[in-house]
Amino acid sequence: MTEPFLSIRKLRKAFGAFTAVHDVTLDIPKGEFLTFLGPSGSGKSTTLYAIAGFQDPTSGDVLLQGKSLLSIPSHKRNIGMVFQRYTLFPHLSVAENVAFPLRVRRRPEGEVKRKVADMLALVRLENFAERLPAALSGGQQQRVALARALAYDPPILLMDEPLSALDKKLREEIQAEIRRIHRETGVTILYVTHDQEEALHLSDRIALFRDGRIEQIGTGEDLYLRPTTEFVAGFIGNSNFLAAEYLETVGGTARVRLADGSIVKGVKATHKLERGQKARLMVRPEAFRLRPADGNASLTVEILDTAFFGDRRRVVARTGSGDEIDARPTSDSAEVNSVDAAYGRQIFFDPAAAFLFPA
Amino acid sequence: MPVQAQQGIASPRTSAGLGGLAPALILIGLFFVVPVLALLLRSVTDPVAGLQNYAALLGDGTYARVFFNTFLVAFVVTIVTVLVAFPVAWMLAIMPPALASLLFSIIILSMWTNLLTRTYAWMVLLQRTGVINRALMSVGIIDQPLPLINNLTGVTIGMVYIMLPFMILPLVGTLRAIDPMTLRAAALCGASPFAAFRRILLPLSLPGIAAGGLMVFVMSLGYFVTPALLGGTSNMMLAEMIAQMIQSLLNWGLGSAAAFILLVVTMALYALQLRLVGNSRATGAA
Amino acid sequence: MLLDYDRLGWLKVALLGFTTLVAAFLLLPMVFIVLLSFGSSRWLAFPPPGWTLKWYEDLFADPSWIEAALTSARIATMTAILAVAIGLLASFGLVRGDFRGREILRGLLLTPMVLPVVVFAIAVYAFFLRLGLGGTTAGFVLAHTVLALPFAIIPIATALEGFDKSIEDAAIVCGASPLQAKLRITLPSIRIGIFSAAIFSFLASWDEVVVAIFMASPTLQTLPVKIWGSLRSDLTPVIAAASSLLVALTLALMIVTALLRRKLQT
Repeated sequence: MTEPFLSIRKLRKAFGAFTAVHDVTLDIPKGEFLTFLGPSGSGKSTTLYAIAGFQDPTSGDVLLQGKSLLSIPSHKRNIGMVFQRYTLFPHLSVAENVAFPLRVRRRPEGEVKRKVADMLALVRLENFAERLPAALSGGQQQRVALARALAYDPPILLMDEPLSALDKKLREEIQAEIRRIHRETGVTILYVTHDQEEALHLSDRIALFRDGRIEQIGTGEDLYLRPTTEFVAGFIGNSNFLAAEYLETVGGTARVRLADGSIVKGVKATHKLERGQKARLMVRPEAFRLRPADGNASLTVEILDTAFFGDRRRVVARTGSGDEIDARPTSDSAEVNSVDAAYGRQIFFDPAAAFLFPA
Repeated sequence: MPVQAQQGIASPRTSAGLGGLAPALILIGLFFVVPVLALLLRSVTDPVAGLQNYAALLGDGTYARVFFNTFLVAFVVTIVTVLVAFPVAWMLAIMPPALASLLFSIIILSMWTNLLTRTYAWMVLLQRTGVINRALMSVGIIDQPLPLINNLTGVTIGMVYIMLPFMILPLVGTLRAIDPMTLRAAALCGASPFAAFRRILLPLSLPGIAAGGLMVFVMSLGYFVTPALLGGTSNMMLAEMIAQMIQSLLNWGLGSAAAFILLVVTMALYALQLRLVGNSRATGAA
Repeated sequence: MLLDYDRLGWLKVALLGFTTLVAAFLLLPMVFIVLLSFGSSRWLAFPPPGWTLKWYEDLFADPSWIEAALTSARIATMTAILAVAIGLLASFGLVRGDFRGREILRGLLLTPMVLPVVVFAIAVYAFFLRLGLGGTTAGFVLAHTVLALPFAIIPIATALEGFDKSIEDAAIVCGASPLQAKLRITLPSIRIGIFSAAIFSFLASWDEVVVAIFMASPTLQTLPVKIWGSLRSDLTPVIAAASSLLVALTLALMIVTALLRRKLQT
């Protein structure tokens, strides 16, 4: 077995009685873009800080190419980092900010100049070299921070919610920039965010954190299409949960009874459930349809509201047993009137796209 | 400050505020501006009209010595105060709140205690047979009492003591305004603690150090009580000389002229200090 | 990391050690004076050969000390009242006023704080001699009010700047007269500033030495003048007793301030 590039071993961090990180274990291959996703307080930043050396873990280890980082002070770890807040040195010009890591490493002047020029070209800020950080926009400042963090060719780049202070448009612009830079440099990136769209957009793999533990790790597709827990299903993408009762598994698919008594067949059986056990059936909004197809399950609902979004339509409905449903079926002009008029009508979904979790 | 607060609906924007300022302006005008201007006038009219008082002050070696001595003391006091205050302010800015408020209380107690009380304590502590000399001798570091009072050493110790709070308190503000993340970033960039201090922390605190240092310097230049009590006759400072010229020698012309020189230097440095503070606010570094 | 208290390592030990030394340095004179005031040595030997209350007895037996303290208290109280009243009015003008030269006026009113006191002292001394105010309580109070005014204006103006005027306007809309609105709404809101102003201007007068030395007459001298005179003649332990009482007063003032602030803020 080959040595993983970066390895987190049973990392635990306790603040007094509160344990922020519970024995997190994780291997990261070289060149991967891995995102720590999770709500605030889930331990993702604490894990990142332990790698950066800002906090000593209570126990566990962090290994880079087989060597423990923990006894090495931050300034000798040779790790790059971009922070949530703009942490450019306010008294230094953009060029001097990027040059800073090289200057403290006493690199020759010629090399510093060349590298600064390369880095500013990489983040497309060649024309801003002499500006002070205060004269830059938030997005530009984060790009300088990125250039500074990459200037010394660190093997790992840590990013702690670097886009959270930017508006949506800038965020998307810099996301594209980060993807390009990851492609061009091949640096291993550990990225922390609480924004699932950002995580899906950027990452090779996502580690979803919950209460100091990794709930599930995998590609965005894994987490979206094959969530292993209700938390993952609820956190990634939008979900509708219907109260259900597990009946049996036939031929690899499960049969459940919904609260209104209707039976749904052909649900993927991922969890072991007892007959008669209370369960929750999760259906993605876009899995709903307004017209039945083969094998579809149907729900009798009251339509509360509809809206038209071009490629999709939003339908807010309530089942007879009171579960609210937020459905995003594909729009189809022929269905507009029927939806508007609907009362006590049926909507449909593909049970194979639904997930069953124990309640 | 909210901009709206300036534009009340009930009171239209007028010069009404001037009415409220009237008592203060009358007080300051009548009992501050007029006396100081009269003093200035006296410096060029007493005993006869002309600039002879200034010529005498600037041309005489004895007075030149006092000027030099004043600047020397103010300079030494400023340097020592900055060096002592910085580490304390640094700790105060980041230490746990309970510890910080204890330290703040000590600073406030020292600052609010009567000036003469503090100076009296130093007179007793520093005298030939004082506690400090005895302690040093009993430990065996010295075998003769050190001359700690009636000289530059005494003045420096006493003045640094008085000035420390004026340096520490604003510096804490400067240091608290620096984002600790900036220094974490510096560390990850590879800066050793020393490099991070020299290249980041120190430059970022410089506006506060400069502003506080200048304030201490200006205050020291015109200080009267402590140098008069802890200093010696051979290193008299300007304020004491002025007082003597008026009180003992009754030489109003010369005293006024010396006072006016002190006023001009003080105000010039103060204006510089205001500019420094203003600039550091503008760049957001302080 | 240099600004992370828990990540400083050995540097934290060094800096905390130094800070402790400085704290001891700052505390030393006060502690020393209090100990000395109970010491039995006429020559201020330390540690004292024995303990006594003699110096306090001497202090209270000498009417000139008591009188000086009362004079100081009287002058400082009048100064504080005058400085707060004038400073309050001036702060409204400086913060709310909208006229040209406001910043210059603010600078002018704060100048007594930065001008070397000795310059003001001889200027006002000469001026008051001519007006016949030298050596009078009125002269003392006027001169001290000039010096105390900046210390009154700064906290009040700061508090007023932090107060949203639209609240006052709301009171006026509700039917209060502008004066009623100021008295019932604005003043209570900035009471911490007013309280600080009173403390600071009281202290500015109570501790003032230089003007007092020039202004004092044989019949009217403040406590600092009395101490100054004693210091210049000899270092009697009676001064230590008087000084200890001043330290106690400072401590009491600090505690009252802290308690009142806590009370006013809630």
